[in-house]
Amino acid sequence: MKNLYKKGFYLFLCIVWSSIASAQQVSPTIKSHLNGIVLDAGTNQPLPGAVVKIRGTTHTVSTDSDGKFSFVTGQSFPYTLLVSFIGYDQKEVTVNGSPVTIRLQETLNQLNDVVVTGYSTQERKYIAGSISSISGSVVQNQPSGGFNQLLQGKATGVQVTTNSGVPGGGITFRVRGNNSINASVDPLYIIDGVFVNNSDPITAGLGNQAASNPMADLNPADIEDIQILKDANATAIYGSLGANGVVIVTTKRGKRNTKAAINLSTFQGWSTAVDQFKVATGPEVALLTNESRVNTAIDNGLNPSTVVLPFPDPSAQQTYDRISSLFRTARTSNYELSTLGGTDRSTYYIGLGYLSQESIVKPSDYKRYSGRFNYDNYLTDRLKVGTSINFIRSDRNLSGSDNNPTGVINSALFPRSYLPVYNADGTYARYGSFDNHLALINNLDSKALGWRTIGNIFGEYTFLPGLKLRSSWSIDNTSEYDNSYSNTLISAGIASNGSASSTENKALVLTNEQVLSFVKNLGEGRKHNVNALIGNTINTVLNQSTSASGTGFAANSLKSVSVAATRSGTASSAETKLLSFFGKASYTYDGKYTIDGSIRADGSSKFGTNKRWGYFPSGGLAWRLSQEDFIKNLNIFDELKLRASLGLSGNQNGIGAYAAQGLWSSGANYLEQPGIAPTQLINPDLTWETTRQFNVGTEFTILKKRLQIVADYYNKYTYDLLLNVPVPYRSGFSSYLQNYGAVRNKGFELGINSTNIQTDAFQWTTNFNISFNNNKIEKLASDISLGASGRNISILRQGYAVNSFQLYKQLYVDPQTGNAVYEDVNKDGQITSADRQIVGNALPKYTGGLTNSFSYKGIDFSFFFYFQQGNKIMNMNDFFMVHGGTQANIGFLPRQLERWQQPGDITDIPRLTTYSGNPTENGGAANNYGGNVASLSSRYLEDGSFIRLKTLTLGYTLPRNVLTRVGVSKLRVYLQGTNLLTFTRYGGLDPEVSSQSNNQNTVGYDWATVPQPGTIQIGANVTF
Amino acid sequence: MTLKQKKMNTSYLRNAVLIAFVLLSVSCKKYLEEVPDYALPTGSAITDASTARAAIIGTYDRVQNYYASAYPTLGTITTDNVIFNGTLSEYLQLDQNAIPTDNVITVSAYQSIYRTINSANSVITYVPLVNDPLLTDAEKNKILGEAYFIRALSYFDLGRGWGGVQLQLKPTTNLSVLKGIKRSTLDQTYDQVLADLTRAEQLLPEDATTRNRAQKSAARALRARLHLYRKQWADAETYATQVINNTKYTLLKPYKSFFTAPFLTRESVLELSYSANDRNSYWNLWYPSSSGGQFTLKPSDALIAKLNNPAIGGSRNTLIAGTGATVYGVLYNTVGISTDPSYLIRIAELYLIRAEARAQQNKLTDAAEDLNAIRARADVAVTTAVTQAALIQAIEDENGIEFAFEAHRWFDLVRTERAGAVLGITNRNFWLFPIPYSDIQSDPDVTQNPGY
Repeated sequence: MKNLYKKGFYLFLCIVWSSIASAQQVSPTIKSHLNGIVLDAGTNQPLPGAVVKIRGTTHTVSTDSDGKFSFVTGQSFPYTLLVSFIGYDQKEVTVNGSPVTIRLQETLNQLNDVVVTGYSTQERKYIAGSISSISGSVVQNQPSGGFNQLLQGKATGVQVTTNSGVPGGGITFRVRGNNSINASVDPLYIIDGVFVNNSDPITAGLGNQAASNPMADLNPADIEDIQILKDANATAIYGSLGANGVVIVTTKRGKRNTKAAINLSTFQGWSTAVDQFKVATGPEVALLTNESRVNTAIDNGLNPSTVVLPFPDPSAQQTYDRISSLFRTARTSNYELSTLGGTDRSTYYIGLGYLSQESIVKPSDYKRYSGRFNYDNYLTDRLKVGTSINFIRSDRNLSGSDNNPTGVINSALFPRSYLPVYNADGTYARYGSFDNHLALINNLDSKALGWRTIGNIFGEYTFLPGLKLRSSWSIDNTSEYDNSYSNTLISAGIASNGSASSTENKALVLTNEQVLSFVKNLGEGRKHNVNALIGNTINTVLNQSTSASGTGFAANSLKSVSVAATRSGTASSAETKLLSFFGKASYTYDGKYTIDGSIRADGSSKFGTNKRWGYFPSGGLAWRLSQEDFIKNLNIFDELKLRASLGLSGNQNGIGAYAAQGLWSSGANYLEQPGIAPTQLINPDLTWETTRQFNVGTEFTILKKRLQIVADYYNKYTYDLLLNVPVPYRSGFSSYLQNYGAVRNKGFELGINSTNIQTDAFQWTTNFNISFNNNKIEKLASDISLGASGRNISILRQGYAVNSFQLYKQLYVDPQTGNAVYEDVNKDGQITSADRQIVGNALPKYTGGLTNSFSYKGIDFSFFFYFQQGNKIMNMNDFFMVHGGTQANIGFLPRQLERWQQPGDITDIPRLTTYSGNPTENGGAANNYGGNVASLSSRYLEDGSFIRLKTLTLGYTLPRNVLTRVGVSKLRVYLQGTNLLTFTRYGGLDPEVSSQSNNQNTVGYDWATVPQPGTIQIGANVTF
Repeated sequence: MTLKQKKMNTSYLRNAVLIAFVLLSVSCKKYLEEVPDYALPTGSAITDASTARAAIIGTYDRVQNYYASAYPTLGTITTDNVIFNGTLSEYLQLDQNAIPTDNVITVSAYQSIYRTINSANSVITYVPLVNDPLLTDAEKNKILGEAYFIRALSYFDLGRGWGGVQLQLKPTTNLSVLKGIKRSTLDQTYDQVLADLTRAEQLLPEDATTRNRAQKSAARALRARLHLYRKQWADAETYATQVINNTKYTLLKPYKSFFTAPFLTRESVLELSYSANDRNSYWNLWYPSSSGGQFTLKPSDALIAKLNNPAIGGSRNTLIAGTGATVYGVLYNTVGISTDPSYLIRIAELYLIRAEARAQQNKLTDAAEDLNAIRARADVAVTTAVTQAALIQAIEDENGIEFAFEAHRWFDLVRTERAGAVLGITNRNFWLFPIPYSDIQSDPDVTQNPGY
């Protein structure tokens, strides 16, 4: 492996050397001087970075920061200038003297944009694949760390859920549904050509909640644009990595011949909980407990009058509020400083950012410091070298707030409200399994410090116009240093006299790539457009982890593992390699017909010796009908394109580095002697999980480019799933990783961009998108049940979608007896595990967004709604806290007060009882809260559909003439609200929640989770 | 350039390309080879003395996995001695004896026991093939004897919890070895246990000072228990006597000395040891959160009353601590340090086995003598029971107190068919734990226990 890198490096050096040697300067003959300026035709603002070319020559300049350009040329007047600028229509101007003013018309849609596709850039109008493009400005100035979570509702075919309101916390990001069951379903993220690591590096246990969103490391302010490659034609060139879609992020780079622009921006935000937890009061808890006790006695055949009530006078109970001390008004501060510009030979972008964000539930917070340096230099006319370097430090205060009796939220929410927070002597009071929430808030000390370097250097050598070789060397180095200390004031540290752990996780991704590309217009009238490339990739992923822990500390101020009385340590390392070769060719005739195809071969060290290599071909067709006379004559369409594609892409992420090998693991020790034991069965045939995707779509613009519509239908079939097939436990194993099973995702996407009103003073645009996805497991060895700490509420079953919930379906509460009656699926007259059934699914039927933007002179106003429909949420807070008295140490939610009390009551909350006799009897008291049903009742499963006003922004850009006097070229101030309104029937705090997100198959739980905050922020952007 | 030179150049070029291609494909293949540094390939796992030793150690580790917490929980919270006091519903289900097929504790115990069996099977199959001068025959026999003992223990623990189970006697090298093995009857399972115990007793070394690995006495003690479960009273008495007569073991006073560090006391026939590097945090389930525990398992009010009654509990009141609503069990008490042993067989059990076996054979005086040995050690007066029935009842009660927090009472009440009368579980289907849901889904050869 080292050798390969070395060889590649020498090759690269040779190319650099020879090209520098061949660089020569020729002094031209001067025949004319031309000065000019390029302006935006709408606003009359100068356009820096526009490209001005003299037709018939290679002489090209860029406009400077004032939009000005000049030529000193061997051409005589008159001659024709070709003026182009991304996002504007190209213009031809014949000039017959200096100076000249050129006005460019902004393109009203993106169809003509250049799009970064796999390893190349293409004009959008020729592309046969399905690609969503999002401008960087969409994800900027928002009170959230990760750009990817901000794509929610902004692009078709993408479903994004922020799992909790913890800043920098985990998110769920799916492109066109879940393709897999055990392998990863996350897309491939590529930032400036670097394949970046997207696995959560934090080890601290947060109750199955993903602790971080690794993409939050990237400062959204640095982003120029984002492309999401969705169909097989677009992703197949990424072969083994592309099956879950590819998100390509391009960061800002300077433009040649532009003066430095310095940009300073900041915002300050204040976040609060839209809704806070509510629990039953002390007297209510006492009343319910009494009632449960009496009912249980009756069920046991005892005389209720003999029962000694635990609370003879419920109303005498106090109520101690814990919830309000859990929440706070959380501050968010963000500062950005950046500069970009370029000389005639080089360009640069430097960006610095700082974000500090508190969680609305104490004590977690998140800080990010980021620095970016992008630089390109044209060493010669033929050789360009460049680099993108990004340094990030992230700093998190973690709080194990989920799913754990010693977590902050659980410790405040679950204890019975008549119990005091403090003991009589002023110390923290603890009850049952629960810690004291204030003890936790004041003493939790769990810090995750991340250092990340994402860097890339590349050289690009042009042999002939259109024929380029690019060699790129990338690194993504993540180092996560987690330190946690539980002192003797919290329950995790009491017994051990303080316990500390210190873990360093390192993930190193090295990628080397060579791509030889050829782009040319050929033939008469340049009707033949060819775009082809071949290349290879060498990719190494090294994960290393070292951790030490210790217990027993002399004082609470001593936290270092090194001074603990008892210490232990562990270390691990795993390396995987991927070797790939690929080629792609695209041919367009006359700007009308495009055909393209690609193939990639990948070999992975993870797979079995028999089947290491996978081959992933794809092909696509595009037809621009708008270039045909019969469409032109209709005078309806400004642009009309049909496209179709078919192809394969692969997946190997999410399985272990040595998943195909038969292993006896060491570490099964006893009596301080080393032990070994079988842990994994061999599978020499383990190979790629493959997705076959068909896509058909259309893009058109009508009404003088005022209305643009993009629609796609796709059908994805993923087969040879990398599936942990459950095996009988008597084998000594619980599962066997093999290629078995299939999942299908099919769906429809529609995106509409409309320019409703466009005048000089007033503009109104609307963007609407909606994505439908239907997921179905087509083939599975047997049902796989999982989730909710062994309660198996989630199930994977053939014929149903992933993320289905299996529960006992509660039909009604018998008005006569008050007992819950469930559907007896197998009609055997009993309620047993055979009567559990799929009662819903956590996947929405559709998701989408609606954005409206208005601008009037300097004022801009926009609002954005996100919506999703059809998903269910398992409300675990209700599951635990509407327990009918079975949980002696847990209080009640107000929903418990709706319980059945007397004959005739109509409710879905059964009679309180802890009776456990006859657990199979349907309509028996045992199954109200215990019994075989054990509260796994569909009454705790709720509709999670919602519509939310995600953002509302009002901004004002100061007039230019005022600003220029103080040396400022642009100043905008704004006020923004986030999550201001939510329409939902969901009874929990927040319908956008997924507490068990560490596992992709246990989506849609709400379990003592920090809700999404409502945020008000003010901000300003200044450009000098 | 002459034509010849050109030709030569092309052939050079062709050769170079060919060589480059060959080199590349070889280096690609090598480049993609990755092996872990923490595990051995299955094929070469047990090959020499040191891996043979490591494999039997690994088998003990697997026993730890189910005996540290899951198995003693199954034997206690299911009874009238211990109640649920936490939040995790899997414990509530056990406390209510309404156990769904995916109950986390029963599933984990069942799965861990079969993992133990697979390790033991591997040792039994591969260790005899090891040809290493460093591995003497004596050591080989010791390792094999331990493996047979552990397999016997595992199948015994499966049988008394789940009934007759599928008998896996070969290591799982691939899934095809599983096909066609149906559930055995409880008798067949116990026959297998007996066969393994017989082999183990032959192969194991005579007792030395060891108490945390199997030796001859451990095999005899387990055999005494097996015969008791099978109502083979004379055999139970014989084997119990063999262990009791071994001077290595004695009933310690005071009662609490066997569960007070340092462990491995003379009380212990077999216990699994833990250490700072190999922890057992079972105490966490018993201690309240103010002591850093979860307090999921709580002594019942009835048990607390018995333990505090000098005529019943005697010095066994040291099994509990705390006051008021916060009385908790302290058998597992290495709070924070987490080194409590798993108590598999104590000499006290052999006395009570013999007492019961003798009582059943109507040797009432001898039976009372054994029972009184246990009572005397706990500073409780001699038994007042005289009739056979009363004596058997007294032995049952004594078992309930003596082993209040160990994996006994549930299994005792089930084997004596008293779970209905004592615990009110009149539906006998619920005297067996359910076969895990996942196995029902994935194994065509398994059948569920009736009633689940």
